[in-house]
Amino acid sequence: MAELLQYVITGVSLGMVYALIALGFVLIWKSSSVANLALGQIVLISSWFAYGMLAQAGLPPWLGIPLVIVFALALGWVIERFTLRPLIGQPILSLIAVTLGLAYFFEGLVGIIWPKSLASLPPLFPQDPVHIGTAVIKQEFLWAAVISLVLFGLLSLFFRYHKSGIAMRATADDQMAVQACGIPVTRIFSQSWMFACVIAAIGGILISSIGNISKAPLVETGLQAFSVVILGGLDSFVGCMVAGPIIGLAETIGGGYLTKLTWEGIKEVIPFVIIIIVMIIRPYGLFGERRIERI
Amino acid sequence: MSLPAGIRNYTYAEDMAIFRTKTHWFFLIALLLVLFTAPFWFGNHWLSIANRIGITIIAVTGLNILTGYCGQLSIGHAGFMAVGAYTSAVLVGRLDLPFIVGLLGAGVLAGLIGIIFGMPSLRVKGFYLAITTIAAQFIIIWVIEHWTSVTGPNGIMDVSPASFGGIVLKTITSEFYLILGITIIAIFAVKNLARTRIGRAFVAIRDNDLAAEVMGVNLFRYKLTAFFIGCFFAGIAGSLLAHTSRAISPDYFQFKDSILFIGMIIIGGLGTTIGPILGVVFIRLLDELVTQLSPTLQNAFPDLLPGFTSGIAPMLFGLVIVLFLIFEPRGLAHRWQLFKAAYRYWPFSY
Repeated sequence: MAELLQYVITGVSLGMVYALIALGFVLIWKSSSVANLALGQIVLISSWFAYGMLAQAGLPPWLGIPLVIVFALALGWVIERFTLRPLIGQPILSLIAVTLGLAYFFEGLVGIIWPKSLASLPPLFPQDPVHIGTAVIKQEFLWAAVISLVLFGLLSLFFRYHKSGIAMRATADDQMAVQACGIPVTRIFSQSWMFACVIAAIGGILISSIGNISKAPLVETGLQAFSVVILGGLDSFVGCMVAGPIIGLAETIGGGYLTKLTWEGIKEVIPFVIIIIVMIIRPYGLFGERRIERI
Repeated sequence: MSLPAGIRNYTYAEDMAIFRTKTHWFFLIALLLVLFTAPFWFGNHWLSIANRIGITIIAVTGLNILTGYCGQLSIGHAGFMAVGAYTSAVLVGRLDLPFIVGLLGAGVLAGLIGIIFGMPSLRVKGFYLAITTIAAQFIIIWVIEHWTSVTGPNGIMDVSPASFGGIVLKTITSEFYLILGITIIAIFAVKNLARTRIGRAFVAIRDNDLAAEVMGVNLFRYKLTAFFIGCFFAGIAGSLLAHTSRAISPDYFQFKDSILFIGMIIIGGLGTTIGPILGVVFIRLLDELVTQLSPTLQNAFPDLLPGFTSGIAPMLFGLVIVLFLIFEPRGLAHRWQLFKAAYRYWPFSY
């Protein structure tokens, strides 16, 4: 029983972080219909940047983390301005391929700047484990869940009430109408990329404070975020919120109990199996919009 | 068709011929001569690179049918190649079947697996399909790594060299001829496939699948055919890779290889016969250049960061893919067309 409780709590917390990262994907998809397949690599590069700031340069967190956020903003702006904007109006294949090219580029860049394969951030949260009922949980999990929830709340408020948030939602709804209203659509694209990168960076810091910074798990975080968006529906923020914890739970509970029944490492493929199942049964996801296509 | 002035056709066969002029034939024969005598010119190092290029051309040609002609994006092609490699290794190594059975079996099984993962393509496309094929890649590699009773510890297997009857192809030269032969067959098969009913149906599906369906193209059949053919080629390439490198491990078929395959058809030119060839040669030679140059650079400039050697190649590939998409989305094939046109009209540019 203690085991199950532990799996549930860690799964939900991890799932919250996945949902947070997935939110960045949905944001870009909704505003500009670009599928950002470099998500995992953006998480990777910003986690390493955080490592560079906090561990290598030895900055205190109150200075280091804002610097990471500034870096993420700059990264988002550069990506949108120099790779996606020249491709506006190109077929979806080019848009997907360009993010794949970016993914390759970032992996190489990380390899050049931080050749280490493993590192860990200095502790950001208190280290004592927490006892909840019979389970013993690392505090990082709880902090990650809380921070993700708070960010979700802030982002929903932003989209609900702030002028740029409303403009972003409007762009997602109808680009032509938005342009007619005098809102520069390219600026909205740029903003959505900047937002997405910041969210990915925060997600990266949370994930790497739970585990370590190394290439494979962080890139996989991006893949897990894809399974979150597929399950939740590509164009749904609520979908992310619901699907994130489901994927997290599937990973921890499935990984915990199925390993004995099947082969080891079943945890790694659970998100992909979920993707395939969703694709076959309900391709538009739990909350996604069902589209009817015309010629 | 772009032809020199003064060429007329009087029969349908003449009009449909691939090689139309004496110059075409001259260059074809010259190219084949150079290729078939290549082992006499090049050392073993370059021959092994040529082998890798040939194998990759076969795989990427398959991907080009799927993505370039039929418009179904697959980011799991290295996974399908792995299916072929392990099928062939198991058929030949464990069951003692002849190599040719292993080769064809590899193609067929990879094609069937491709059909399974291509099923969702009937309902989804674009990003959804991309994610499905990514999932395919990871599931396939995971199964290979963990199904150890068939694939050996951690999926690492020794493979016997290719053989026909009693002739065992052990030397790198004989492998070169095997790969060259199969590559030429593959390229001609694809060139002709693109001109048949099937190829035209693929192009119709790529351009607008709903319109194609209204015109009477059976989407179900043709999309799955495209997946079968594309993955069949990947399987053949995987089998050749297994039998020429003598040992296979899941590391040969990583997700990043799948991305690189996509990059190759984009750099070469989507939906053209020559595109995959140009793309593969370009990337592989770039790879070789980087491998040769980076230690020298590292020595010459000791200030360079220590990860320079390992990181520069992926960074360059990513950069090249992005730059091609932005500045020349039609790829090297288009540049080649422009060059041919310029050459044909020289000295008049119109």
